[in-house]
Amino acid sequence: MLVSLNEIKKLVKIPAEVSTEELVKLIGSRLVEVEGTIDLSKKYKGIKIVEVVSCEAIPETHLHLCQINAGEKDLVQVVCGAPNVRKGMLAVWLRPGCIVPQTYGGENFELGVRKMRGHESNGMLAGLDEIDLGDDHSGIVEIDPKFAKAGDDFAEKFGLNDIILDIENKSLTHRPDTFGLIGFAREVAGILGIKFKEPTVKFGNLDITTTLSADELSENVSDAEKVWVEVEDTKLCPRYTAGVFEVSGAGLKNALEINEYLTLDDVFLAKAGMRKISKIVDATNITMLLTGQPLHAFDYDKFVKVGGLDEPKIVVRAAKKGEKLKLLDRKEIELVEKDDIVICSNETPVALAGAMGGEETEIDENTKKVILESATFSLIHERKMQMAHGIFSEAITRFTKGQPEAGTVPALARCAAMLLKTPKDIVDFEVSETFAEDDISVELYLKDINDLLGTKYTALEVTETLENVGFKVMSGEDDLIKVIAPNWRTDIHIKEDIIEEVGRLRGYDNIPMNLPLRPFIGADRNKLFDLKREIRGILSDRIGANEVLTYSFVSKDLQEKVGEDFSESYEIVNSISPELQVFRQSIIPSLIDKMYENIRSGYKDFTLYEFNQVTSKKLGLTEEKVPEIENHLALISTGDFYDAKNKLEELGKRLNLEFKLEENNVKEFPYFERVRSAKVMLSGETIGVVGEIKQRVLRGFKVKEAAGFEINLDEVVDVPRNIVKDLKLSKFPFVERDLTLKVKAEMEYGALEKAILEALGKEEKLVYKLAPVSIYQGIDKSSKNISFHISFSNTEKTLESSEISDIMKSIEKKTSGLGALTV
Amino acid sequence: MEIEKLKEKLKELNQEYAKIKTIAVEERKAFGIEMNKKKQEILAKIKRAEEAAEDAKAEPLDITAPFDINSKKNEFKTRGSKHPLMTELDHVVDIYQAMGFNVMEPRQLDDEFHMFDSLNFSKGHPARDGYDTFRTSEGFIPIAHTSAMQNRALSAYKSRLENGGQIAVVIPGRVFRNEDVDPTHEHTFYQCEGIYVAKEANMGELLGIFKNFFETYYGQSLKIKTQPGYFPFTEPSFELLVEKPKSLGGKGDGWLELLGCGMIHPNVLKAAGIDSEHYKGFAWGGGIDRLVMMKYMLNDVRYFESGKLNFLEEF
Repeated sequence: MLVSLNEIKKLVKIPAEVSTEELVKLIGSRLVEVEGTIDLSKKYKGIKIVEVVSCEAIPETHLHLCQINAGEKDLVQVVCGAPNVRKGMLAVWLRPGCIVPQTYGGENFELGVRKMRGHESNGMLAGLDEIDLGDDHSGIVEIDPKFAKAGDDFAEKFGLNDIILDIENKSLTHRPDTFGLIGFAREVAGILGIKFKEPTVKFGNLDITTTLSADELSENVSDAEKVWVEVEDTKLCPRYTAGVFEVSGAGLKNALEINEYLTLDDVFLAKAGMRKISKIVDATNITMLLTGQPLHAFDYDKFVKVGGLDEPKIVVRAAKKGEKLKLLDRKEIELVEKDDIVICSNETPVALAGAMGGEETEIDENTKKVILESATFSLIHERKMQMAHGIFSEAITRFTKGQPEAGTVPALARCAAMLLKTPKDIVDFEVSETFAEDDISVELYLKDINDLLGTKYTALEVTETLENVGFKVMSGEDDLIKVIAPNWRTDIHIKEDIIEEVGRLRGYDNIPMNLPLRPFIGADRNKLFDLKREIRGILSDRIGANEVLTYSFVSKDLQEKVGEDFSESYEIVNSISPELQVFRQSIIPSLIDKMYENIRSGYKDFTLYEFNQVTSKKLGLTEEKVPEIENHLALISTGDFYDAKNKLEELGKRLNLEFKLEENNVKEFPYFERVRSAKVMLSGETIGVVGEIKQRVLRGFKVKEAAGFEINLDEVVDVPRNIVKDLKLSKFPFVERDLTLKVKAEMEYGALEKAILEALGKEEKLVYKLAPVSIYQGIDKSSKNISFHISFSNTEKTLESSEISDIMKSIEKKTSGLGALTV
Repeated sequence: MEIEKLKEKLKELNQEYAKIKTIAVEERKAFGIEMNKKKQEILAKIKRAEEAAEDAKAEPLDITAPFDINSKKNEFKTRGSKHPLMTELDHVVDIYQAMGFNVMEPRQLDDEFHMFDSLNFSKGHPARDGYDTFRTSEGFIPIAHTSAMQNRALSAYKSRLENGGQIAVVIPGRVFRNEDVDPTHEHTFYQCEGIYVAKEANMGELLGIFKNFFETYYGQSLKIKTQPGYFPFTEPSFELLVEKPKSLGGKGDGWLELLGCGMIHPNVLKAAGIDSEHYKGFAWGGGIDRLVMMKYMLNDVRYFESGKLNFLEEF
């Protein structure tokens, strides 16, 4: 939304000590987000109003050679190609050195002196489009000689020495009243601490204010016509008002009449980003910009004809199945049953309520009478209609904020007053029903305000602040404050709404800062959050892995590639990206997906890991009836099973947790090669799988070798850690021995290791360490040699050679029981 | 063996399909559909059988061994990296924890109640559209803001209020918005939410906490300011701006728009069974991605979820 500061200044007297810069800053901090400001004075600098003193056609061209009076000593020569240029008219002159406003902020085209067909031309006489106040390019702009004279500064005369605020609409979602200049100005007064004076408009004997009621207007209009208004559901249309007037009664030659001169109204519209269309439509648009209430004009006779009755019968209802409507933009739309609100003439839809009028009842040159509509509609439906039909007009933007019902009558009257002389010229006025004008009142104590804001405002300060923007305030005992909200404040319901008003209007930035006091209790630790942080340290700092983040949503194609059953996945039904189809069941597939690109970039040996949430329908729902989720850790590297296993074991060692590996018989993680992977157990529970990824899966990702693990951290977080660690220290020398055992090929390394450790464990006061050295297999595939490095020491004495040899013998005895031969 | 049998069956089926020419025209369509269904079934079986055959060829290994036959133990690399968003989240959470806030992580897949209803969004209200939520076929919602955890956090710590204490929780986590990805938009990003409820809680304290937080975070004293905002779950609502700190090249003139916040709406407290007449609170939420982007002068948010090592290695 574009808001002119000059227009605001017409409605609020800004104190001299508040600079424009300060004012913009205050609006930004207390009312609305100001996205930017546009200084029009720069855009219209140096432009003059001039009189065309002479105008002669240049032979064999469409051009005219003009001498113009710019209120300066000498006349100036300008060549003009516009068909409407003529002697005696007042025009707009862009002199050499001026930037053409249309190009301002873009290519910034600067005018100069140039020769055209041998004649010198100084700058140009401008058309409406060139001064960026309209789209018309059919001729040059003409100015009413009663309004200005040659030599006048154009910007000054037309109020263009102005600052335009570019307002972020979203920050006013709840404030329909501020989508009109009057409402906006009221807020500006409020934040400056000034009491806002409602602007009134004289309309015959009637004073139009924001509180004008339907009865007051009814008493003043003629009742020559009979319009029927019928609203089927007041939820869809809380209030519908309609007025009828005659085009001749508005003093117009025809209903499409426009002003031949450039007017202040045209500039007013242009500054708000709108364009002049015709006197009638302009009046509705200007009224909307002032009050926030959009209006629509129908051709009376066409309306009656469509309805097939003698008199117009306006019906507001939800669209029915299969109904169609041809709109003003000549597009025929299929109406959405129940969601669309339509204005009907008797039974036939003639307008999409609040969004766009229909072609059938459009005003044209032959229009004799006009039905003027001023109504409010359900904002939820307006929003749906906006989305369904892609209509983003100034009017619907306002309707989606929910315009107040009380605003309909004053807006209709204001608009009529712009076109007609007296209310009697309104030949009929009808209202759907008289709504209950119950005041919204909220009671609260001064203490409530100060307690929530942390301020020390007095009752007087609060009262003043609220009264400035139209609230009625009554004080009771014990600083009880009764606040009655004005009829345009649809957002006031509870005392917090009043507290917000006080805090905002007086400035949140004026609230003294302090910190809450709390007892000296430590914050709880979040075990899972801390565990992830601990693991992050181990994997990144000790194992050299790189943490990644990948999307939680994957494609069904990816799940199919890795063998996951996507019918178990929660499917995303509205994604705008085709890749995001389901919530992932595990993380490893996303990590494999990230490998190829890194390999292609030249990385050969790397490890990626990620923590994230996963889910599948198999997990079921929680007590709250939401999907059960698991917190996983996944790791993948360009290595084999043992590489992944070593990393898992290192992690376990650093966490003081013992991960046990067993034959992989789990159904989850189908992409692991079953015989080259193992299930990971902790405290007797299966927590995941470690191992190599199937070759046929990897082929789909153009990766040759990958292994890793994925474990469920929810099963890890509560397992008690054994933080007591036997460091196996001794003051006496360690004996170092290598032991190579020849075993059958199928002999498990683990069994052998266990036997050695058992033998060592039997010795008293012995501390020992065992490390693998090699696993060798030659041509003979039926056997293999496993070498260990053993070191041990007695904690009380230096071992003698006989004792050492006894220990080695006991080991060999144990291992030979497994069929191992000492080499 | 099985595969050969299946292939044989496929052959037979193809032969049978050839009979389509002899069938009455009006029955051809049904016949074709039926035959095609059978064919697809067999093809799927062949695929499964081939996969199983390939899986069966995999050579088993000794899962108890430390490394493979005739090979050595892989040495770990000395240097890895932590994801910058996670490091930042840790850093943010550390400051709040030191202030006394507990940490709760949000669940990434949640429902309408937690995402909207419990946060005072009325049914069908256009404000819901502003969140561009993803939805599953069951109507679950991948959360579009960490505020979806507010109701659970309030409920979980409610008993502390009755014992004269406070609810002080921060909620760091991953959120989702259904929008196109470009240098400044991601459908997946991170937020940190905070809530505080006590017998007495006011806006001055909310401002005090922010000032304190950002001064600790950026290691210098900083000015803060507000601008009005609108969120259904806070009343009053506003947005918080912080002076651009020196560490980001600030010279005392620029502002960073960092948080949306406000006093918790009574309906949000009520939805969690907290008496809004006796207890007040405030809540705020801000994005983590932007903090990191400013710190490392990143001009493209897509780096974060790219999984590219040449980016990750920098951290």
